[in-house]
Amino acid sequence: MSRRPRYRLVSAAAAAAAALVAAACSAPGSSQPSSGSTSSGAAAGPIKIAVVDAQSGSESDLGQFEWRGVKLAVDQANAAGGIDGRKIQLTLYDDQGDPTVGTELARKIASAGDIAMFGTAESAVTLAMAPILESEHIPNITSGQSTQLLALHSPYLFLNGPTGLTYDSTLAKYLVTTKGYKKIAMLTNNDSYGAGEDEAFTASLKSLGITPVATEVVPADQTNMTPALTAIRAKNPQVLFIGAEEAQSGLIVKQARALGMTAVIAEGAPAGTPLYMSTAGVANANGTIVSSPYLGNDVSPAARKFAAAYTAAYGTAPELHGAKAYDGAEVMIAALKACNACTGLALANAIRAVHYAGLLGNFRYNSSGVGIFATSIGIITDGKIKPAG
Amino acid sequence: MQSFFQTLVSGLSFGAVYALVALGFSLVYRTMGLVNFAHGAVLMIGAYVASTFYLSARLPFAVAVPAAMIVTGAVGLVIERVLRPLENKDFDLMLIGTIGAGTVLDAVAILIWSSSGRGVPSPVQTAPFDIGGVRIPAYNVLVIGVTAAAMAVLTLFLQRTRHGAAMQAVAMDHEAATAVGIHVGRSNAISFAIGAALAALAGALVGPMLYVTPTMGDSLGIQGFAAAILGGFGSIPGAIVGGLGIGVIGSFAAQSFQGYSDLVTFVVFTVLVMIRPTGIFGERTVNRA
Amino acid sequence: MSRLWSLWSPGRARAGGLVVLAVAAWLLPYRLNIYWISVADTAILFALLAVGMGLVMGIAGQVNLAQIAFFGVGAYATAILTTRDGFGFWTAGALAMLAAVIAGLVVGLPALRIQSHYLGIVTLGLAVAFIDWITNAPITGGDSGISGIPTPPLFGIDLASQYLYYYLELIVFAGGLAFGLFIVRTPLGRRMRAMRDDPLAASAVGVEIRMLRMAAFVLASVYGGAAGVLYAGLVHYIAPETFSIADMFLLLAMVIIGGRQSLAGCVIGAIGLTVVQQELINLAAYAQLGYGLVVVAVVVFAPAGLVGIPGRAAAWYRRWRGHTGRAAALEPFRPLPAAPPSPGSAGGALLEVAGLVMRFRGVTAIDDVSLTVREGEILGIVGPNGSGKTTLFNVISGLYRPTAGTVSLGGRVISGAGPHRICQLGVARTFQHLRLFGNLTVADNMLVPLDRTRTWWSWRYIGWPPGVWRHDRELKWRAASLLGCFGLAQFAGLLPGSLPYGIQRRLELARAMASSPRLLLLDEPAAGLNGEERSQLAAIVRSIRDSGVTVVLIEHNMGLVMSLCERVIVLDSGTVIAEGVPAQVARDPAVLEAYLGKSALPAPHATEASP
Repeated sequence: MSRRPRYRLVSAAAAAAAALVAAACSAPGSSQPSSGSTSSGAAAGPIKIAVVDAQSGSESDLGQFEWRGVKLAVDQANAAGGIDGRKIQLTLYDDQGDPTVGTELARKIASAGDIAMFGTAESAVTLAMAPILESEHIPNITSGQSTQLLALHSPYLFLNGPTGLTYDSTLAKYLVTTKGYKKIAMLTNNDSYGAGEDEAFTASLKSLGITPVATEVVPADQTNMTPALTAIRAKNPQVLFIGAEEAQSGLIVKQARALGMTAVIAEGAPAGTPLYMSTAGVANANGTIVSSPYLGNDVSPAARKFAAAYTAAYGTAPELHGAKAYDGAEVMIAALKACNACTGLALANAIRAVHYAGLLGNFRYNSSGVGIFATSIGIITDGKIKPAG
Repeated sequence: MQSFFQTLVSGLSFGAVYALVALGFSLVYRTMGLVNFAHGAVLMIGAYVASTFYLSARLPFAVAVPAAMIVTGAVGLVIERVLRPLENKDFDLMLIGTIGAGTVLDAVAILIWSSSGRGVPSPVQTAPFDIGGVRIPAYNVLVIGVTAAAMAVLTLFLQRTRHGAAMQAVAMDHEAATAVGIHVGRSNAISFAIGAALAALAGALVGPMLYVTPTMGDSLGIQGFAAAILGGFGSIPGAIVGGLGIGVIGSFAAQSFQGYSDLVTFVVFTVLVMIRPTGIFGERTVNRA
Repeated sequence: MSRLWSLWSPGRARAGGLVVLAVAAWLLPYRLNIYWISVADTAILFALLAVGMGLVMGIAGQVNLAQIAFFGVGAYATAILTTRDGFGFWTAGALAMLAAVIAGLVVGLPALRIQSHYLGIVTLGLAVAFIDWITNAPITGGDSGISGIPTPPLFGIDLASQYLYYYLELIVFAGGLAFGLFIVRTPLGRRMRAMRDDPLAASAVGVEIRMLRMAAFVLASVYGGAAGVLYAGLVHYIAPETFSIADMFLLLAMVIIGGRQSLAGCVIGAIGLTVVQQELINLAAYAQLGYGLVVVAVVVFAPAGLVGIPGRAAAWYRRWRGHTGRAAALEPFRPLPAAPPSPGSAGGALLEVAGLVMRFRGVTAIDDVSLTVREGEILGIVGPNGSGKTTLFNVISGLYRPTAGTVSLGGRVISGAGPHRICQLGVARTFQHLRLFGNLTVADNMLVPLDRTRTWWSWRYIGWPPGVWRHDRELKWRAASLLGCFGLAQFAGLLPGSLPYGIQRRLELARAMASSPRLLLLDEPAAGLNGEERSQLAAIVRSIRDSGVTVVLIEHNMGLVMSLCERVIVLDSGTVIAEGVPAQVARDPAVLEAYLGKSALPAPHATEASP
């Protein structure tokens, strides 16, 4: 900077000093009200809620399911009169599966005046957004299931389904205690869902005195699992536990059968979706043991009703993720009704106080933000999930 | 032992696909001195187009694949035409231009076919061959056969036809080629189109083996590129050897290093390239003053 | 009109603009809500990354697709050291910068051997390897990342506020940008740009290519690491998705669209694309399509990027309005100061070539050549095309390593040494096909060889910047005087490509002289020159010799050879076939046969059989 002659340097310094003085007088941003702490002054306006999910990128399927489930519930509520006459206005944001984008969106929805948030379906993004949402006092109902979410101890974070540990301990119990399997192999991927499943299922097996005969990890974007499956095949397992998302799980099953593996497939939530079945092929998917709180659209009258409404609205049948999102939205609506469209910590407490009988079970939130504590076991038969006997 | 051979067979099957990708890279490099970073994206477009013809239009697989090659070859022609002003002038800029073209193709694929992937059922429904417990899907054998045929056809084209000779002449000295009446731009366009068609062939063939997603071209492209460099950029036998090599290395790395397999493959590859940048068969390349 | 124009000057306008920008940047947070300030914070980090990219790609010409990995190393190192090992933020940050520098050295290693597309794929591969590692390693938290990174403490200022963090980033960024600009405009940056434009010519004028490439990567890693440290302290949570290949290509697009050869362009590209990305956040695929198309368009139509457009527009406007300006003219050559005759060494051997053999894969270009160049002489090397003359020069100047034989300069063996080393020992050359640094001004072309310091001298950039500044000023003074000697003073600010061919030739000659050589090798200096230019050339060469430099020239123009050279060596098919004073060599039958062929010679018996 010493190129310029002295007097320009001095004038620049003077300008800078002036700016510093101005800054010292009042820090910027201090006059910005953080939304959520103000009461809903515009009592007649719509209730703004954000939906943040991956609408692009590899996780966009889950994002789509969640958006549809939430929207169905909100549309139904609005059609029935809304909350004290006020409609709920949903705004969809695309986090692209990227935690950095997530953090920016957290600030964006705060400044846009959204009082609550649904999403995301990706634990890593939810983890990144949680501290900001907490400081902005915005309650968040997420589809994530990672136990790391609980470690945040945020009073504003709620899960709309069971934790991964619940899925896996129920599954392990069924496999080991009920069916008596001893030789169990594990194949998980290395993203936060797969890593969580790896940890949870291993722990569940250990508590039942079983060690897996093989554990393999594949990258989350890998589509050729044959090397890992070859190593597993050599150990002749009775059961193959999979911890991966829907499409990759389906591919794993397809490739396992192509290798001649006859092991029974066992999995948590992803195996209960149509995407899993279509990727694996119905013949390969038959016999899969699924641990899920939502075994299908026929398990109860409520599920049938939900499925009918969903199909009417979107032209496709719903599955677990849509059902979870629907339940989560229903809980939020119930809380809003109970506290007269309150915001911030009051809304969070209202959510915690809700007892709701949903598609997944009875919601009753504890202090960690978990509301559902059990899953069911189903077996895929003829392309449909039947509850296990 | 059975496990070893199974892994080997799997590696060779995918190696054949990498070899096809590497062939396309090498061809474009050999005739234009251009490294095409859009090659992976072109492969992905080929996979989507082929699967669309096969699944939605219900064309037979043997028709869907060549149709996809033609469509994708046309895409290659467009890319070459757009980047033509940079040919033989600034290679770094052209490299970046192909990165941009790849980005465009990725975005177009998402806009047309959405980001969720699609599975492609195998067109060969016969039971896999079972040799001593080692299972080889019949389709994989088909892929290896097609790759061998492609190599033969390409070699014949380059060495026996006028267009092929013209392409090689342009590679050696584009100014001299112009002087003897070869239209360099048109020759480069043909070269690019063939390269794109080879990528499309690889993508179309690999669809039933894997899963068609908008990001499938990224890793396949990088593996194919690594294969081309390893075998010797510009050499056709090198592309085959490099492809099979990368396929087998990757297969065994996936078993031993599991989640870290990409890392291992690349560290090995970086070290090899630094020791011998010209690859196994040496670099037969453009004359760049 | 002209009165007003006289008040305005580029320097003043730039200074004024800078002050305005600085004040605007300082006051910006007051105008932004909490969302946009966080966007601004992200934009500054990308701008910092982009400056690093600009330095390594645009200035030094190294393809670097691993910048996102440097970003990741800085961020992850900070995160791990603070959350797992309990270091304070600033300590962890300093260690993280060290880690980033090590990463820069590792990524720079391949650059010593490979370039361009190979380097691109290798750096991309290393980035993929890094991403793979952070996704799998337990220490990095895998795909779930690391959370709970503490806020950096700073004298009680609450940096948890995005607004106040902006100022921290702004200060770091301003410092980084200033340092980057300082490098670009001083000897180190000039050498990098010369290396970018023509690595061969750069090494021939004394640039240590390998060290510079490594330095470029280390620079990029410093900026990447700094951005990573700041990012960790800003977001308090890092995960692998932030450091993806998609973000790498986005960063590349920022640098290309803005203008990679200008640091200001890189910054503009980074900030512009960040803002656009935010605006199109719900249309991610369209945004990607958009910036991909813009990259292709920029690369084909406006390679200098957005920052190059005003310049091109202004030039177009000037042409349209008919302002052609006053053409720069060549001034007469001023003879160089003659060197005092040095006792003893006059006439002694300066360069000795002994038994030199040069083979390329079966072609023997030089076959057992031995010759001596005497100090203070003007030696001509002639021969038919393909006789190995330029190959001989290439071996002497270090571009090739001889298959056998030695080359000695002043008694010291130089064969096998690299070109830059040989240049430092006092050999300079021109090239058969002009090799000027096309994107450097005429003055800059001179400044590169004038700088005789080694690369490690550059530690002063960090340790003692005023020393660099003083050195640069001295170099500029010497360049101006040398340009004046050669009559090129009026061309100082122009690019070589815009000059007439004859003037480019003279520039290359002046550039060769700038490195104060003892031995000057001229490869066909008269090619393409007209009669007047040739006689000027002869006068210049004589003056160069009189100033104490030994000259060897390859020439095809026999008139020039005859009048200028004191001794001539004739090469044919890689061997010396004649040697001596010009008149003698011209009559040598072997020489005639080589040039004209056997049939042109008079029959050997005709003279004897005269009756």
